Amino acid sequence: MRSLGYVADVQVGAALSGMVAVLLVALGWRVLGGYPRPATPLARLSRREATFVAAAAEALFPRGGAVPPSGLDAGVPAWADRWLDALPAATRFLVRCLFALVEHATLLFPARGWDGWRRFSALDPERRGAVLEGWRTSRWFLRRLVFTSLRAIVTQGYFADAAVLRALGLAPFAIEAPVTAADALYPPIGRPRSAIRFSADAVTVHGPLDRPPAGAPLVPGSPLHPAYRESPP
Amino acid sequence: MSAPGAVRVFAEYDRDLVDEADVVVVGSGPCGAVVAKELAEAGRDVVLLEEGPPFTPEDFVLDGALSMARTMREAGLRATRGHVMPTMQAIALGGGSLVNSAICVRPPAFVFEQWATRFELSHTSRAELDPHFDAVEGFLGIAPTPDEVQGRRNLLFREGCAKLGIESEPIARNVRGCRGSGECFTGCRARAKQSMDLSYVPAGIRAGARVYTSVRAEQVLAAGRRATGVRGRVVAPFSGRPGPAFEIRAKAVVLSAGCMATPLLLLASGLANGSGQVGRNLQFHPGVAVMGVFPERVDPQFGATQGMQSLQFLPEGFKLETLWAPPAVLAVRLPGAGLALKERLAEIPHASIVDAIASCHRSLGTVRPRRRGSLEPVLHWRLHPDDLPVLGRALGVIVDVLFAAGARKVLPGVHGIPDELGPGDTALLRSRRFRPTDFVMAANHAFCTTRMHGDPRHGVVDEWGRCHGLDNLYVADTGVFPRCTSVNPMLTGMALAHRTAQALAERV
Repeated sequence: MRSLGYVADVQVGAALSGMVAVLLVALGWRVLGGYPRPATPLARLSRREATFVAAAAEALFPRGGAVPPSGLDAGVPAWADRWLDALPAATRFLVRCLFALVEHATLLFPARGWDGWRRFSALDPERRGAVLEGWRTSRWFLRRLVFTSLRAIVTQGYFADAAVLRALGLAPFAIEAPVTAADALYPPIGRPRSAIRFSADAVTVHGPLDRPPAGAPLVPGSPLHPAYRESPP
Repeated sequence: MSAPGAVRVFAEYDRDLVDEADVVVVGSGPCGAVVAKELAEAGRDVVLLEEGPPFTPEDFVLDGALSMARTMREAGLRATRGHVMPTMQAIALGGGSLVNSAICVRPPAFVFEQWATRFELSHTSRAELDPHFDAVEGFLGIAPTPDEVQGRRNLLFREGCAKLGIESEPIARNVRGCRGSGECFTGCRARAKQSMDLSYVPAGIRAGARVYTSVRAEQVLAAGRRATGVRGRVVAPFSGRPGPAFEIRAKAVVLSAGCMATPLLLLASGLANGSGQVGRNLQFHPGVAVMGVFPERVDPQFGATQGMQSLQFLPEGFKLETLWAPPAVLAVRLPGAGLALKERLAEIPHASIVDAIASCHRSLGTVRPRRRGSLEPVLHWRLHPDDLPVLGRALGVIVDVLFAAGARKVLPGVHGIPDELGPGDTALLRSRRFRPTDFVMAANHAFCTTRMHGDPRHGVVDEWGRCHGLDNLYVADTGVFPRCTSVNPMLTGMALAHRTAQALAERV
């Protein structure tokens, strides 16, 4: 009897080990596998993160509607890559955690349907939208905070696109500035003082009181900032 | 060592640096810049240290998030723990003045009366500070925002207030030649905002002050009751990569690193904490904002960033202001996702935004180092339950003003309230018992972490900013406020700094 029990224990142990191995492989595949290579090389976003950001951008800003460009048209993943590159390392790590959390939280808060636990980026756009709505309207503050943070990132990337700002009539204008005393003191960031463009003789505004309180106000139809024109120079 | 009246930038540090001065000022924000300029003009040899770089117009970035990543510590993503609330601290020559909306308001007399009574301050009345306010306002040409650059968005607020019998006024700002570009938060391309890098710092340089940028003060040096200088490292712009070391020896040291950094510098140096108050009493003005959507096109991007205000509700604990920000930042507040979100984005050209900053003087927090000796802050702050109704009341008044101005709907951005309210739905706001987590708050006015107090057992500095128990170590930033100002704090900080500079000039 003891030997039979031993055999049974071994079989149960082997079965459990097998199940754990399968689960680990499945989990590994879920976290790491099947993500496409980005079309253009990215400095900071991994292929997993780029896929996630693209999926979130598509869900938050689908094509069509009141503002034609989609989040993908606006190049949100490429923007997110540039933005991540500008962040301090500790902050960048937190942002990465945020991306990973939403991507895999469908295990805890699944979308509708039998396969609703698939990772966020593998869901169809409609169910991605529903998942995000669940985060937005949650009674748990931390879930709402996660949504607000993610949407803030994607929205800022969306608004970085000149076409989006032009469509909304919010593109920045060209502004000419006088030469102030400060302009003869500081070089552009990263350059030595020899890179200062203006000499003291070129200064036209020497102190705060050299100018009237109001200048000519900008009005609709003023020329746009060159980088935001339809055909940049 | 630099010649008098010179600026050093990151590209010019190739070895360790030692220098001497009468006074070394740490931080070039509104308070530090005032101290440096006033002392230099009084004939003192001044060194001004700044961790950030100077920004020229070609360094400004119009993309809101990337701009914050360049001009703010922690890329503009700093937040409090306890009750989570974003808050920012600039890292640039000129400090926060480079990226704030230039609001200059003298606090009402009752604020100083409360300070005097509760904190044993007999020389800090409004009347005693008025000459210092006058000096700062006169130098910067501070003036009410003229109608020409208000834009429709700001004027709607005035119309709404007038219909309800609420007092409103144009905001006085340190701005000359404003064209109403609404770009205060990403740096004024028109060079109209008289941020410190354009005003006080150049004036200080003309008077002989030496300015070292891209240097991080890490320790105040002291012997007995006397501070003897400051030690630290050169740091690269944006990356913070450390470079050569520096040491500035001085007869007096002034810390103007801001109320989130000065206490950490004191703690790291083991100085001025006999009261145990360094880093405590952190207060904010939490802000809430509501967007009103109007039938007509408002074109809100035109006009002064913040052009109108109402001070009528200060005794109740809040102040109303108009608001504009980079569209991407404003859009973050809009509800929804997908096509519904896009519908709301398309309404921005019809929108006017009003915010309220609340005193919340019962709500306290702390600034502590991330680890012992660190200069990275961890902020803890909790909204006191008795301050919650003030925020709710402020929201109600904002909504009333927007509807009185003709809004067809408002987007209050409060959890548990419908995303959009019409003119008949405002009772929902008034009947609700709010929780702190219902609001999307933000707070960029912070103070009190090195508070002044007449009694050395309860405060860090005296009324002239000198640290209790030390002969020549001063603090000049909003940390010295004993309580919040109820109004935008920059001008008060500068007036107090002006007084500190005068007191220090007599001693050095």
